[in-house]
Amino acid sequence: MAERPLSPHITRYRWAYTMTLSIVHRITGVALALALLGLIAWLVSASLGAETYAAILPLLTGIAGKLLASLAVAALIYHFCNGLRHLAWDLGFGYERVDARRSAVLVLAVTLIGAAVCLYFIFRPGAGAA
Amino acid sequence: MAEFRLPPNSRIDQAAGKTFSAPAGARNLRRFRIYRFDPAAGSRPRIDSYQLDMASCGPMVLDALLKIKNEIDPTLSLRRSCREGICGSCAMNINGLNTLACTKACNELGRGDISIYPLPHLPVVKDLVTDLTNFYAQYAAVKPWLQTATPTPPDRERLQSKEEQQRIDRPSACILCACCSTACPSYWWNSERYLGPAALLAAYRWIVDSRDEATGERLDALEDPFRLYRCHTIMNCTEACPKDLNPAKAIGAIKKMLVERQH
Repeated sequence: MAERPLSPHITRYRWAYTMTLSIVHRITGVALALALLGLIAWLVSASLGAETYAAILPLLTGIAGKLLASLAVAALIYHFCNGLRHLAWDLGFGYERVDARRSAVLVLAVTLIGAAVCLYFIFRPGAGAA
Repeated sequence: MAEFRLPPNSRIDQAAGKTFSAPAGARNLRRFRIYRFDPAAGSRPRIDSYQLDMASCGPMVLDALLKIKNEIDPTLSLRRSCREGICGSCAMNINGLNTLACTKACNELGRGDISIYPLPHLPVVKDLVTDLTNFYAQYAAVKPWLQTATPTPPDRERLQSKEEQQRIDRPSACILCACCSTACPSYWWNSERYLGPAALLAAYRWIVDSRDEATGERLDALEDPFRLYRCHTIMNCTEACPKDLNPAKAIGAIKKMLVERQH
Protein backbone atom coordinates (compact mmCIF):
# COMPACT_ATOMS: atom_id res chain seq x y z
CA MET A 1 0.00 0.00 0.00
CA ALA A 2 1.27 3.45 -0.91
CA GLU A 3 2.47 5.78 1.81
CA ARG A 4 -0.24 8.22 2.80
CA PRO A 5 0.08 11.56 1.06
CA LEU A 6 -0.10 14.82 2.99
CA SER A 7 -3.19 16.83 2.13
CA PRO A 8 -2.56 20.24 0.52
CA HIS A 9 -2.36 23.10 3.04
CA ILE A 10 -0.92 26.56 2.47
CA THR A 11 -1.26 26.37 -1.30
CA ARG A 12 -4.86 25.27 -0.97
CA TYR A 13 -6.21 27.25 1.99
CA ARG A 14 -7.96 30.42 0.93
CA TRP A 15 -5.71 33.31 1.82
CA ALA A 16 -7.46 35.47 4.38
CA TYR A 17 -6.82 38.72 6.20
CA THR A 18 -5.99 36.74 9.35
CA MET A 19 -2.89 35.12 7.87
CA THR A 20 -1.90 38.27 6.00
CA LEU A 21 -1.76 40.45 9.09
CA SER A 22 0.04 37.75 11.04
CA ILE A 23 2.80 37.16 8.49
CA VAL A 24 3.19 40.88 7.79
CA HIS A 25 3.67 41.43 11.53
CA ARG A 26 6.57 38.99 11.45
CA ILE A 27 8.08 40.38 8.26
CA THR A 28 7.94 43.95 9.56
CA GLY A 29 9.49 42.77 12.83
CA VAL A 30 12.49 41.30 11.02
CA ALA A 31 12.69 44.32 8.69
CA LEU A 32 12.72 46.69 11.66
CA ALA A 33 15.59 44.80 13.26
CA LEU A 34 17.55 45.35 10.04
CA ALA A 35 16.43 48.98 9.77
CA LEU A 36 17.77 49.51 13.28
CA LEU A 37 21.27 48.87 11.89
CA GLY A 38 20.77 51.81 9.54
CA LEU A 39 19.64 54.01 12.41
CA ILE A 40 22.69 52.99 14.43
CA ALA A 41 24.98 53.74 11.48
CA TRP A 42 23.44 57.21 11.25
CA LEU A 43 23.91 57.87 14.98
CA VAL A 44 27.48 56.55 14.97
CA SER A 45 28.35 58.74 12.00
CA ALA A 46 26.92 61.75 13.81
CA SER A 47 28.92 60.95 16.94
CA LEU A 48 32.13 60.72 14.91
CA GLY A 49 31.92 64.37 13.96
CA ALA A 50 30.73 66.68 11.23
CA GLU A 51 32.96 65.29 8.50
CA THR A 52 31.81 61.69 8.87
CA TYR A 53 28.23 62.86 9.10
CA ALA A 54 28.58 64.91 5.95
CA ALA A 55 30.05 61.86 4.22
CA ILE A 56 27.10 59.60 5.11
CA LEU A 57 24.36 62.17 4.56
CA PRO A 58 24.10 61.71 0.78
CA LEU A 59 23.23 58.05 1.39
CA LEU A 60 20.22 59.13 3.44
CA THR A 61 19.03 61.94 1.21
CA GLY A 62 19.42 59.93 -1.99
CA ILE A 63 16.37 58.34 -3.56
CA ALA A 64 17.32 54.83 -2.36
CA GLY A 65 17.86 56.05 1.18
CA LYS A 66 14.54 57.86 1.17
CA LEU A 67 12.74 54.80 -0.16
CA LEU A 68 14.29 52.56 2.46
CA ALA A 69 13.45 55.10 5.16
CA SER A 70 9.84 55.22 3.93
CA LEU A 71 9.55 51.45 4.04
CA ALA A 72 11.06 51.37 7.52
CA VAL A 73 8.64 54.01 8.78
CA ALA A 74 5.66 52.19 7.27
CA ALA A 75 6.88 48.94 8.83
CA LEU A 76 7.27 50.68 12.18
CA ILE A 77 3.75 52.10 12.11
CA TYR A 78 2.26 48.75 11.11
CA HIS A 79 4.24 46.76 13.65
CA PHE A 80 3.37 49.24 16.41
CA CYS A 81 -0.38 49.30 15.63
CA ASN A 82 -0.66 45.56 15.16
CA GLY A 83 1.41 45.12 18.31
CA LEU A 84 -1.23 47.11 20.18
CA ARG A 85 -3.83 44.79 18.65
CA HIS A 86 -1.92 41.82 20.04
CA LEU A 87 -1.64 43.52 23.44
CA ALA A 88 -5.41 44.00 23.47
CA TRP A 89 -5.85 40.30 22.72
CA ASP A 90 -3.44 39.40 25.51
CA LEU A 91 -5.57 41.50 27.88
CA GLY A 92 -8.60 39.52 26.74
CA PHE A 93 -10.24 42.00 24.35
CA GLY A 94 -11.17 41.87 20.68
CA TYR A 95 -11.47 38.13 20.06
CA GLU A 96 -14.95 38.19 18.52
CA ARG A 97 -14.81 37.73 14.76
CA VAL A 98 -16.34 41.11 14.01
CA ASP A 99 -13.99 42.86 16.48
CA ALA A 100 -10.91 41.17 15.03
CA ARG A 101 -11.93 42.27 11.55
CA ARG A 102 -12.58 45.81 12.69
CA SER A 103 -9.23 46.07 14.45
CA ALA A 104 -7.53 44.70 11.34
CA VAL A 105 -9.11 47.41 9.19
CA LEU A 106 -8.11 50.00 11.77
CA VAL A 107 -4.48 48.83 11.78
CA LEU A 108 -4.30 48.93 7.98
CA ALA A 109 -5.97 52.35 7.80
CA VAL A 110 -3.65 53.90 10.38
CA THR A 111 -0.65 52.36 8.62
CA LEU A 112 -1.69 53.74 5.23
CA ILE A 113 -2.44 57.21 6.55
CA GLY A 114 0.71 57.30 8.69
CA ALA A 115 2.86 56.06 5.83
CA ALA A 116 1.36 58.65 3.48
CA VAL A 117 2.11 61.46 5.93
CA CYS A 118 5.67 60.24 6.38
CA LEU A 119 6.13 59.86 2.64
CA TYR A 120 5.09 63.49 2.25
CA PHE A 121 7.65 64.69 4.78
CA ILE A 122 10.40 62.45 3.42
CA PHE A 123 9.86 63.35 -0.24
CA ARG A 124 8.63 66.95 -0.12
CA PRO A 125 10.97 69.36 -1.93
CA GLY A 126 13.91 70.33 0.20
CA ALA A 127 13.47 67.48 2.67
CA GLY A 128 16.73 66.29 4.16
CA ALA A 129 18.70 69.22 2.81
CA ALA A 130 21.58 70.04 5.09
CA MET B 1 9.33 23.89 10.85
CA ALA B 2 7.41 25.48 8.08
CA GLU B 3 7.56 23.23 5.03
CA PHE B 4 5.60 24.92 2.27
CA ARG B 5 5.95 22.32 -0.49
CA LEU B 6 4.17 19.02 -0.34
CA PRO B 7 6.34 15.88 -0.30
CA PRO B 8 6.76 14.40 -3.81
CA ASN B 9 4.24 11.59 -3.27
CA SER B 10 1.60 14.12 -2.21
CA ARG B 11 1.78 16.49 -5.17
CA ILE B 12 -1.28 16.42 -7.33
CA ASP B 13 -0.91 14.67 -10.68
CA GLN B 14 -2.68 17.23 -12.85
CA ALA B 15 -2.80 14.97 -15.89
CA ALA B 16 -4.44 12.02 -14.11
CA GLY B 17 -7.77 13.62 -13.24
CA LYS B 18 -10.94 12.12 -14.71
CA THR B 19 -13.88 14.11 -16.00
CA PHE B 20 -17.48 13.04 -15.62
CA SER B 21 -19.90 15.07 -17.73
CA ALA B 22 -23.48 15.72 -16.82
CA PRO B 23 -26.24 13.63 -18.42
CA ALA B 24 -27.83 15.07 -21.53
CA GLY B 25 -30.72 17.40 -20.87
CA ALA B 26 -29.29 18.75 -17.60
CA ARG B 27 -30.21 22.41 -17.12
CA ASN B 28 -28.64 23.76 -13.94
CA LEU B 29 -25.04 22.62 -14.27
CA ARG B 30 -22.35 22.91 -11.65
CA ARG B 31 -18.86 21.43 -11.67
CA PHE B 32 -17.32 19.83 -8.57
CA ARG B 33 -13.55 19.41 -8.55
CA ILE B 34 -12.69 16.80 -5.95
CA TYR B 35 -9.36 15.61 -4.53
CA ARG B 36 -8.91 11.90 -5.08
CA PHE B 37 -6.34 9.51 -3.69
CA ASP B 38 -6.53 5.76 -4.06
CA PRO B 39 -4.11 3.93 -1.71
CA ALA B 40 -4.45 0.73 -3.73
CA ALA B 41 -3.44 2.32 -7.03
CA GLY B 42 0.03 3.37 -5.89
CA SER B 43 -0.27 6.63 -7.80
CA ARG B 44 -0.28 10.26 -6.71
CA PRO B 45 -3.41 12.20 -5.78
CA ARG B 46 -5.46 13.65 -8.63
CA ILE B 47 -8.40 16.02 -9.09
CA ASP B 48 -11.55 14.51 -10.59
CA SER B 49 -14.19 16.72 -12.11
CA TYR B 50 -17.90 15.96 -11.87
CA GLN B 51 -20.72 17.88 -13.53
CA LEU B 52 -24.01 17.76 -11.69
CA ASP B 53 -27.50 18.90 -12.58
CA MET B 54 -28.30 20.99 -9.52
CA ALA B 55 -31.99 20.85 -10.41
CA SER B 56 -32.02 17.24 -9.21
CA CYS B 57 -29.58 17.67 -6.31
CA GLY B 58 -30.13 18.61 -2.66
CA PRO B 59 -28.94 22.03 -1.50
CA MET B 60 -25.89 21.16 0.59
CA VAL B 61 -22.39 20.22 -0.52
CA LEU B 62 -22.88 16.88 1.23
CA ASP B 63 -25.98 16.26 -0.91
CA ALA B 64 -23.87 16.82 -4.01
CA LEU B 65 -21.11 14.50 -2.77
CA LEU B 66 -23.59 11.74 -2.00
CA LYS B 67 -25.26 12.22 -5.38
CA ILE B 68 -21.87 11.77 -7.02
CA LYS B 69 -21.18 8.67 -4.93
CA ASN B 70 -24.62 7.16 -5.50
CA GLU B 71 -25.16 7.97 -9.16
CA ILE B 72 -21.83 8.72 -10.85
CA ASP B 73 -18.77 7.33 -9.09
CA PRO B 74 -19.16 4.88 -6.19
CA THR B 75 -15.39 4.86 -5.60
CA LEU B 76 -15.52 8.31 -3.96
CA SER B 77 -14.82 8.02 -0.23
CA LEU B 78 -15.90 10.46 2.44
CA ARG B 79 -16.96 10.44 6.08
CA ARG B 80 -20.47 11.53 6.94
CA SER B 81 -23.11 10.62 9.44
CA CYS B 82 -25.65 13.00 10.91
CA ARG B 83 -26.06 15.44 7.97
CA GLU B 84 -27.02 18.19 10.42
CA GLY B 85 -23.76 19.60 11.78
CA ILE B 86 -23.58 17.72 15.06
CA CYS B 87 -21.31 14.73 14.38
CA GLY B 88 -18.39 16.56 12.78
CA SER B 89 -17.62 13.73 10.36
CA CYS B 90 -17.92 15.57 7.04
CA ALA B 91 -15.39 18.33 7.80
CA MET B 92 -13.43 19.12 4.65
CA ASN B 93 -11.86 21.98 2.75
CA ILE B 94 -14.51 23.51 0.47
CA ASN B 95 -13.40 26.29 -1.87
CA GLY B 96 -10.34 26.84 0.29
CA LEU B 97 -12.06 27.04 3.67
CA ASN B 98 -12.57 24.29 6.23
CA THR B 99 -16.19 23.63 7.04
CA LEU B 100 -18.84 20.92 7.29
CA ALA B 101 -20.16 19.69 3.94
CA CYS B 102 -23.57 19.08 5.50
CA THR B 103 -24.17 22.64 6.66
CA LYS B 104 -22.59 24.46 3.71
CA ALA B 105 -25.10 25.20 0.95
CA CYS B 106 -23.81 25.08 -2.62
CA ASN B 107 -25.48 28.38 -3.44
CA GLU B 108 -23.52 30.05 -0.61
CA LEU B 109 -20.40 29.34 -2.66
CA GLY B 110 -20.97 31.80 -5.47
CA ARG B 111 -21.46 30.61 -9.04
CA GLY B 112 -18.23 28.95 -10.17
CA ASP B 113 -16.81 25.48 -9.72
CA ILE B 114 -16.75 24.02 -6.22
CA SER B 115 -13.37 22.60 -5.15
CA ILE B 116 -13.38 19.99 -2.42
CA TYR B 117 -10.20 18.83 -0.71
CA PRO B 118 -9.54 16.87 2.48
CA LEU B 119 -8.79 18.82 5.66
CA PRO B 120 -5.34 20.45 5.22
CA HIS B 121 -1.98 19.06 6.31
CA LEU B 122 -3.16 15.62 7.38
CA PRO B 123 -2.23 12.16 6.09
CA VAL B 124 -4.86 11.09 3.55
CA VAL B 125 -6.32 7.61 4.00
CA LYS B 126 -8.42 7.78 0.83
CA ASP B 127 -9.97 10.69 -1.08
CA LEU B 128 -11.58 13.01 1.50
CA VAL B 129 -10.89 10.70 4.43
CA THR B 130 -7.96 11.86 6.57
CA ASP B 131 -6.07 10.22 9.41
CA LEU B 132 -7.04 12.07 12.61
CA THR B 133 -5.09 9.84 15.02
CA ASN B 134 -2.80 12.67 16.16
CA PHE B 135 -5.74 15.06 16.52
CA TYR B 136 -7.63 12.64 18.77
CA ALA B 137 -4.48 11.86 20.79
CA GLN B 138 -4.09 15.57 21.44
CA TYR B 139 -7.68 15.76 22.60
CA ALA B 140 -7.05 12.86 24.99
CA ALA B 141 -3.85 14.57 26.19
CA VAL B 142 -5.80 17.43 27.77
CA LYS B 143 -7.73 14.86 29.87
CA PRO B 144 -11.21 15.90 28.77
CA TRP B 145 -13.05 14.52 31.74
CA LEU B 146 -13.99 15.70 35.24
CA GLN B 147 -11.12 15.35 37.71
CA THR B 148 -11.90 15.65 41.41
CA ALA B 149 -10.20 15.03 44.73
CA THR B 150 -13.22 15.48 46.98
CA PRO B 151 -15.79 12.68 47.22
CA THR B 152 -19.03 13.07 45.34
CA PRO B 153 -21.84 14.28 47.63
CA PRO B 154 -23.85 11.20 48.69
CA ASP B 155 -27.27 12.75 48.22
CA ARG B 156 -26.93 14.84 45.04
CA GLU B 157 -24.84 15.55 41.98
CA ARG B 158 -22.07 18.15 41.82
CA LEU B 159 -24.19 21.23 41.27
CA GLN B 160 -23.40 24.36 39.31
CA SER B 161 -24.95 27.79 39.29
CA LYS B 162 -26.44 29.03 36.07
CA GLU B 163 -23.48 31.39 35.60
CA GLU B 164 -21.01 28.56 36.15
CA GLN B 165 -22.77 26.49 33.54
CA GLN B 166 -22.76 29.35 31.08
CA ARG B 167 -18.97 29.50 31.20
CA ILE B 168 -18.75 26.01 29.73
CA ASP B 169 -21.88 26.12 27.62
CA ARG B 170 -20.31 27.29 24.35
CA PRO B 171 -16.94 25.48 24.62
CA SER B 172 -18.87 22.26 25.32
CA ALA B 173 -20.57 22.60 21.95
CA CYS B 174 -17.35 21.63 20.13
CA ILE B 175 -17.97 18.62 17.88
CA LEU B 176 -14.25 17.82 17.28
CA CYS B 177 -14.59 18.18 13.52
CA ALA B 178 -10.97 19.47 13.31
CA CYS B 179 -11.88 22.39 11.03
CA CYS B 180 -10.13 24.83 13.38
CA SER B 181 -6.91 22.94 14.04
CA THR B 182 -6.35 22.11 10.38
CA ALA B 183 -7.00 25.76 9.43
CA CYS B 184 -4.16 26.94 11.68
CA PRO B 185 -0.75 27.60 10.06
CA SER B 186 0.95 27.08 13.43
CA TYR B 187 -0.69 23.66 13.61
CA TRP B 188 0.45 22.85 10.07
CA TRP B 189 4.07 23.52 10.97
CA ASN B 190 4.05 22.11 14.51
CA SER B 191 1.25 19.56 14.82
CA GLU B 192 3.63 17.15 16.54
CA ARG B 193 4.11 19.45 19.50
CA TYR B 194 1.46 22.19 19.36
CA LEU B 195 -1.89 20.92 20.69
CA GLY B 196 -3.92 23.05 18.28
CA PRO B 197 -7.09 25.09 18.80
CA ALA B 198 -9.56 22.20 19.22
CA ALA B 199 -7.62 20.46 22.01
CA LEU B 200 -6.92 23.80 23.71
CA LEU B 201 -10.59 24.76 23.56
CA ALA B 202 -11.35 21.43 25.26
CA ALA B 203 -8.66 22.15 27.86
CA TYR B 204 -10.24 25.56 28.51
CA ARG B 205 -13.68 23.97 28.88
CA TRP B 206 -12.36 21.86 31.80
CA ILE B 207 -10.17 24.60 33.30
CA VAL B 208 -13.18 26.90 33.76
CA ASP B 209 -15.52 24.11 34.90
CA SER B 210 -16.50 25.00 38.49
CA ARG B 211 -16.77 21.31 39.43
CA ASP B 212 -13.29 20.35 38.25
CA GLU B 213 -10.58 20.23 40.91
CA ALA B 214 -7.48 19.81 38.73
CA THR B 215 -7.29 23.37 37.40
CA GLY B 216 -3.68 23.86 38.57
CA GLU B 217 -2.50 20.58 37.05
CA ARG B 218 -4.29 21.38 33.80
CA LEU B 219 -2.57 24.76 33.60
CA ASP B 220 0.79 23.17 34.47
CA ALA B 221 0.40 20.74 31.60
CA LEU B 222 -0.17 23.57 29.12
CA GLU B 223 2.66 25.85 30.28
CA ASP B 224 4.97 24.92 27.45
CA PRO B 225 6.48 26.86 24.55
CA PHE B 226 4.95 24.47 22.05
CA ARG B 227 1.83 22.86 23.50
CA LEU B 228 0.13 26.23 24.13
CA TYR B 229 2.37 29.08 23.05
CA ARG B 230 2.66 28.15 19.37
CA CYS B 231 -0.64 30.00 19.16
CA HIS B 232 0.18 33.38 17.64
CA THR B 233 -3.43 34.60 17.54
CA ILE B 234 -3.69 34.25 13.77
CA MET B 235 -7.47 33.69 14.26
CA ASN B 236 -7.93 31.21 11.41
CA CYS B 237 -9.48 28.81 13.94
CA THR B 238 -12.27 31.16 14.98
CA GLU B 239 -12.90 32.14 11.35
CA ALA B 240 -13.21 28.46 10.36
CA CYS B 241 -15.36 27.05 13.19
CA PRO B 242 -18.65 25.81 11.68
CA LYS B 243 -20.25 25.96 15.14
CA ASP B 244 -19.34 29.63 15.67
CA LEU B 245 -17.17 28.82 18.66
CA ASN B 246 -14.10 30.86 19.53
CA PRO B 247 -10.98 28.73 20.14
CA ALA B 248 -8.70 31.79 19.82
CA LYS B 249 -10.50 33.50 22.68
CA ALA B 250 -10.26 30.37 24.82
CA ILE B 251 -6.52 30.07 24.14
CA GLY B 252 -6.09 33.76 25.00
CA ALA B 253 -7.93 33.18 28.28
CA ILE B 254 -5.61 30.27 29.13
CA LYS B 255 -2.54 32.41 28.43
CA LYS B 256 -3.98 35.12 30.67
CA MET B 257 -4.65 32.66 33.48
CA LEU B 258 -1.06 31.43 33.28
CA VAL B 259 0.21 34.99 33.72
CA GLU B 260 -2.25 35.87 36.45
CA ARG B 261 -1.49 32.86 38.61
CA GLN B 262 2.12 34.02 38.99
CA HIS B 263 0.91 36.96 41.09
